[in-house]
Parts: sequence; structure tokens; C-alpha cells
Amino acid sequence: MKKTRTLGALGAVLSLSLALAACSGGDGGSGSDETTGADGGSGDNTLTVWAWDPAFNIFALEEAEKVFQADNPDFKLEIVETPWEDVQTKLTTLAQSGETDQLPDIFLMQNNAFQKNVINYPDIFADFADSDVDFSEFPESVVAYSTYDDVNYGVPFDNGTAIGAYRTDLLEQAGYTVDDFTDITWDQFLTLGKDVLAKTGKPLLTGQAGSADTIMMMLQSAGASLFDDEGMPTITDNEALLAAIDMYGQLVDAGVFVEVNSWDEYINTIVNSNTAGIVNGVWISGSIQSAADQSGKWAVTNVPKLDGVDGATNYTANGGSSWAITPNGNEALASDFLDATFAGSTEFYDTILPASGALANWLPAGESDVYSEPQEFFGGQPIYADVLKFAAEVPSNNTGAYYYEGRDAVSVAITNIFNGADPEAALEEAQQTVEFAMG
Amino acid sequence: MSVPTAPTEGRAPSAPPPGTTTSRERQPKSAPLSAIARRRSLTGWTFIIPAAALIVLVNFWPMIQALFLSLQTGRGTRLSWAEPLWLNYQRLFEDETFRLTMSTTFIYLIIQVPIMLVLAMVLANLLNAPWLKFKGFWRTAIFLPCAVGLVSYSLVFRQIFATDGLANDLLIKFGLLDDNVNWLGQTGTARMVIILGLLWRWTGYNMIFFLAALQNIDRSTLEAARVDGANGFKTFWYVTMPQLKPIILLCAILSTNGTLQMFDESFNLTNGGPGNTTMTVSHYLYNVSFRNSPNFGYAAAISYAILIIVAILAAIQMKVGDKRD
Repeated sequence: MKKTRTLGALGAVLSLSLALAACSGGDGGSGSDETTGADGGSGDNTLTVWAWDPAFNIFALEEAEKVFQADNPDFKLEIVETPWEDVQTKLTTLAQSGETDQLPDIFLMQNNAFQKNVINYPDIFADFADSDVDFSEFPESVVAYSTYDDVNYGVPFDNGTAIGAYRTDLLEQAGYTVDDFTDITWDQFLTLGKDVLAKTGKPLLTGQAGSADTIMMMLQSAGASLFDDEGMPTITDNEALLAAIDMYGQLVDAGVFVEVNSWDEYINTIVNSNTAGIVNGVWISGSIQSAADQSGKWAVTNVPKLDGVDGATNYTANGGSSWAITPNGNEALASDFLDATFAGSTEFYDTILPASGALANWLPAGESDVYSEPQEFFGGQPIYADVLKFAAEVPSNNTGAYYYEGRDAVSVAITNIFNGADPEAALEEAQQTVEFAMG
Repeated sequence: MSVPTAPTEGRAPSAPPPGTTTSRERQPKSAPLSAIARRRSLTGWTFIIPAAALIVLVNFWPMIQALFLSLQTGRGTRLSWAEPLWLNYQRLFEDETFRLTMSTTFIYLIIQVPIMLVLAMVLANLLNAPWLKFKGFWRTAIFLPCAVGLVSYSLVFRQIFATDGLANDLLIKFGLLDDNVNWLGQTGTARMVIILGLLWRWTGYNMIFFLAALQNIDRSTLEAARVDGANGFKTFWYVTMPQLKPIILLCAILSTNGTLQMFDESFNLTNGGPGNTTMTVSHYLYNVSFRNSPNFGYAAAISYAILIIVAILAAIQMKVGDKRD
């Protein structure tokens, strides 16, 4: 009798732990009501798209739809707003369960996650081999994110080219101009930063603690990454990584780089004038411009480069995303649509840039007048034309299928190093963590 | 009828009141059921089967599938049977991150659950006191946190404990701190914030259980104790507590289970940081499935590890806490 009761209770406990087991089962069904998935045959002129930002990539899609409708009046886009994390979990669940007919025709994917998904779930991607998209019109480093085995799986959308943005008014107080921050090295940056800190009390940079963003940008600026060409982790014996971590530590120790804990706090340091500069992907300019009172007080230049590292440049990138198409029977229309808009219409890019700040990766767009218009917020500097010039210089880096493992392991290592661990030992541990995850 | 199973002196509370016999006392199995009993039994089964079938279909079947999945290895959809079959389970023992997240989860469990249950018990007793005014208000106020979404409260706690957040402002204002503390940036304080969050969110929930149980206690037993000269504490300890035992057990098991599967706080409040030291096992499981290169076989093994641990802990708690038989 006792046994039955214990068993009964165990049964109750089992059923409680179920959500978890079912969740990881993957083939237990995603549980979400998939009313939106295109089922291959849904109207020949309608494409379903997943994207996540109404003010940014969804806005761009709506404009692209209008542009494409000029020649194809019957064409329609059905845009489903899906946050990036949900796009990833949905793709994973659908691919894992083989329910690929629930996929949209086009979806947007973070560049850093592209290789991982193409390698693990080749079934959910259609390639652009038969399309007219001219990939030579995009920066090589950006196309590389969505290229696997020399096949293109994505049309690059937003630009992640890194900028150094500085508060000219604060620099002036310290006796500098933005030119003093152009084409410099991180060592010079540190010296300048200490001076700015002493004179204005403001750091030159802020960032999220435990995030490897800045380190990853430094790495890519030297064309280095956490993986070699075969995709094996190169966290140990990585000259650029050691130099980047060392420099990062010096910046934080000197108070030139202030760490905060969350993204909101990070944005607040910019909006509340708690920093004299910021280094990040150009998309950060949207957040910078949200502080209307700072209009005319910002300038944009390239980023510092690592000292004594082979191949170091003043150009790098952070983030960005690309459009992928699925093999659901509409891939010809989908690739035509992308070719005619995101990879072929200056008119289109001229509309979305001023309205949403979505900067093109498509190089011909940079020749249009809209890109060279002076931006009042940035003291009349034509920052978009400048950034497109930076974009062409960004070295490519290899993300591989284990990008997030590598990045997270390095983040942990950085935290440990700051808490007093030996850098080489901490990186060795990170290398082992990644190797274990890959095993 | 109730004579043979009448509880021994002093153990009355947990046994069913005399007169309401439970089915297991009724008849030996071998005895043929009367027509009425058979019909009743049939009716019972008809009521149970639809729900039970659904549970089996949407709960137990995926669990079995997950068990098979945990014996497979590979990335994405390229899964194959592991060699040896228990490879993923063996892998658990070599996984530093799993070890770290497991010990973090146990720290939450060991610190948070006892504090919460004691607190809930104290609050329930206060709210049950006959002299308390505005009972409805206090009850609602204390219960309200568990009507708040897990994600929203996590985000609010993150704001409060930001370096320039409310917690620092208040503590400095009252002279308890000299300088801003980076609550979420250090392992110890970040874990403390998570535990505080859990306490805030779940104490009221457990309190309601205790309160309900307290109201079922026969006042005459308390009066009898008082007549016998027991003081307040003695009455609580020797009369009230034993009567609450089953509900305490229930709350302990539910809380243990909940804490071991905790995800939202780790994901939204600290995002596992600093350096993965506040990450729970479930958060790690999510990363293995969706953030990292997907390894569903291993993720299923992790979920089974959680299941086994929950089951063992529940069994221990029942063994220790439930002495009814």
C-alpha cells in the first residue's frame, strides 16, 4: 500500500517535470499555433516572411513590398512579427520535427547564427545558386556569414559595420577633436581616454559586463576569430584574442571603459551623457539619436585597431542579419523579390534609410544622394556614406557552427580573468569547454 | 468499520475522519463486486479515462520519446543511436557547465525553499489570527506577487538591483551603504537577488496552502491545548504543526520541483551571469537546445537527470515527512 502511494506521488512528480522533458524532446510539437506558416501552395503571389522589428526590418519589408508591387501588382507579403529568439526556437523545432511545410517563405536570421543553422539544418534553406542576385555587390565579409561550402544561402540585410561614435562637445572640453580618434590604435585610445576621464569625468566607452561584444569586435578587426578554417576552436594560442583581452582589461582598470549589467543600462549611459563615446555596430546610431538633446554633438569615425597584431585594421563589425529563403515551392518568387529589392533597388534603400536608419549592405546604394546627405544630428557629417566606406574594409571572420559556444566560453573566461584568474589558464578552460561542447 | 484502522492516539489529524471510509479498506480484492459496486466502478473509469488518455498522449508519450532521444547523439537532425547507449548520461559527469549549473540550482534550493516555507508558515499564522483586522487586504497583498508574470517580475528586479537602481539609492539614502553595489555583477550578490526574487514571488503562493490547511484545523483541539496549559508556541508546535504536516510535505515537494526546473529568473534577471555562475540547469538545457549548436540528445539527457533528481528528492521527502502508514 505504501508502495502504491509512493508510486502515485512519483507519478504526480513525473507529470510535473513533463513540460521540461517534452520541451527538450523537440518532436513533441512546438505547441504554438502555427496559423501563419505558408503551406507551399498558398497563392502563387503571396510570400510569408518572419522578421522581428516593426520599426526596422519589418518596415523595410513593407517598403520592399511596395517597390516590388510596381512591377508585380498581384504580389503580396504576409509579414509575421517574430522576435529573433522565437525565430530560432521555431526554426529549430520545425526542422527537428521535420514539419518543414510550416516554414515561411523568407525569414530573417542573425548573421552570427547563420552558419550554425545552415550546417545543422540544411533542409530548411534554399540556396541562391539559380537566382540573379549578384553577391559581388555586397561586402565580402558580410556575404561570408551566409555562405557555406561556397554556396550562398542569404541576402545580407542590415549593416553591422562598427563605428566609433564620439561626443564632440565632451572631447572639446578635453581639448580633442574627432580627428584625434581617427585611424588610431587601442594604446593611443587608452592614453586619450585617461586624459578625457581626468578632464571631463566621463569614460570613453561603456559596455555590458560579461558580454564579449567588444572583444569580438577587436578580434574581427584583425581578421581573427575563435575558430580556424576547419572550424576547430583556437581560443588558446590566439595572439589577437590575448591582445584584445589584455587591452579590454586595461581599459576597464583605467575606468576608460565602464561596465554595466544590462542592455538598458548600457543604452542609458549613452542617453544620459554618461559616456563620451561608444564603439558598436552602426545600428547603435538609432539609440544615439533617441537623445534629441544631443543633436549636433556626435561625430562618427572608424574604430581603434590592435597594436602589434598581424592583419589589424580600423574596421570591424558587430551583428547584422540576412534574409534566407526556404524550399517550400516559392523559392523562385522569393529570390526574385529579394533580388529586385534588397539586392537591386537604390530607390528602396533611399526610402528606408532616412525613415528607419536601416543602412544597406548593398554597395551600389551608397552612391545615391540620400546616403551622402549631411546628418544634422552628427554635426552635418554624412555618416552613412562614411560607414559604407568602412563596410567595404571589414575583414571577414569565421563564425562556424559553434559561434555561441565559443563566445559564451570566452565571456566566462573574461569574467574569471577579471576576478583574478590567470588569462592563459582561463582561456585554456574556455577552449576545453568549447571542445567538450563540440564533442 | 473504521475500528480496525483507527489511528493511534495523537495521530488523528492526518487520517480521514471516522465514517468516511476509503476504498482500500472496503473489501479484499478477490471478493466479487456487487452489481452496484461494479456499475460505480465503471462510472468512475468513464470519468477518468478521457483525461487519463490525454495525459498519456500529450505527457507520457513525449516523455518516452525524450527517453529515446536521450540515447541518441548528433547535431541538428543528424541523430544516431549513441555508442554506448548511455553516452549522453556519461557525458553529464564530464560536463563542467552542467556541474556548475547543478550546484547553483541546489544552492537556490537549499537556501530558498526552507526560508520560504518558514516565512509562509509565519505569515499564514499571522493571517489566521482572530484579532487581525483587514484580513482580506493582507491576504490579497501577500498573494498578489504570484499573479505577476515570471518575466515581468524578473525584469523589474533587474531594474531595482541595477547599479544605479532603486536598491542602491535607498540603501545609500538610509546610510546602510557608502557606495553603489554592483548587485548583479558579482556571483554572491547576484545569486542573492535571484533568491530574493523567488521569495517575493512564491512565499504568498505557499502561504495560501498553509492558510487553507490552518482553517481546516478544528479550533477545539487548540482550545483543549490551551486548557491543558500550553502556551502559544507549544500549541503551535505540538498541536497545529502535526496537523499541517501533509500540506507542508506537499509544499516542500512542489517547491523543490519548481526550483529545480527554474528558468525565467536565470534567463531574464541575470542571463546566467556573471560567468555562468547564476545559471540554472534548465537555462543550460535551453542553451544546449536553442542557443548553441543544437544537441537534442544531450538536452534530453539533462532533462532526465533533472527528473531523476526531483523523483529522488520527492521520495526522500515522503519517507521523512509522511508517516501516515
